Amino acid sequence: MLLMSNTRTNEEWLHDLQASGATQEAALADLRNLLLRAVLFFFSRNLGDFGGLARSEVLQLAEDCAQDALIAILRRLSDFRGDSKFTTWAYKFAINIALMTARRERWKGVSLDQLSFSHNSTLFEWTMQDRSSGLVPDRSAMQGEISEIIREVIEHDLTDKQRHVLILMVFNEIPMDEVVQRLGTNRNAIYKMLHDARRKLKSGLEARGFEVHETLALFSEPG
Amino acid sequence: MKHDRFENWLRNIYETRDEEISCTECFDLVSRFVELEVSGQDAVAKMPQLKQHLSQCRACRDEYEALRDLRRLDEQDGMPSIDDLQDLIP
Repeated sequence: MLLMSNTRTNEEWLHDLQASGATQEAALADLRNLLLRAVLFFFSRNLGDFGGLARSEVLQLAEDCAQDALIAILRRLSDFRGDSKFTTWAYKFAINIALMTARRERWKGVSLDQLSFSHNSTLFEWTMQDRSSGLVPDRSAMQGEISEIIREVIEHDLTDKQRHVLILMVFNEIPMDEVVQRLGTNRNAIYKMLHDARRKLKSGLEARGFEVHETLALFSEPG
Repeated sequence: MKHDRFENWLRNIYETRDEEISCTECFDLVSRFVELEVSGQDAVAKMPQLKQHLSQCRACRDEYEALRDLRRLDEQDGMPSIDDLQDLIP
């Protein structure tokens, strides 16, 4: 079946969504249909996030996400610059809301306070495993040195906030939006903290003479 | 941390730039990036900062990958119906 939505040009989308009466109603219904598909598409690829929910609850969440995306798009309609298909631009709102919803479901009920950080059991876990695999001692020693630099930078050069966010996201793999929500901030602020942390780590490694190729070669899987 | 994740993280550290775009800027630009990709243009060469952000930011990357795949389905007229998609939810 050929959808009406696939037959609209960008200009027609903008026109119809801002029209009145039946024209606008049809455009809104078509757009909502497309957004629901985008949300369901995302959900179907991330079923692991909905382990505790009944099917009907997941389907309802999808409807809610599509509705929220529709509202966001109508608010931001004037931001559309025409440098993509209108539907591509619209999908990203649906995907953004679907992703935040899915991750929230997965982490619902988990207290971030339960997630502690131990260098020995996270950052260096695999280094210890590596030592038993017959690597030459020099390599192990240099790996240890790099690990030590990273540990020092994390402990001494990062701010408390940078360290906290790094531990949550890099070491405990908490998704960004979960950290955003729990810390009452936004993606840009969290990204900036991680960016600043990476800059300090990079400087720390380079200041000790560990250049990129050498370091990555040391840590790449043998064979 | 698993070995391959640690290796990726180290790579991310070394690929850090002094200036990187924010998640908001990424969101604003990503639909154009996907459109360039789907139309066979060199999106990475045209929008290197966006590509750099995507390689550093898991949340934005997850969204980009879903958007790209949706756009490709659209291009091929292969977008499943709502019924078909609902059937994928167990």
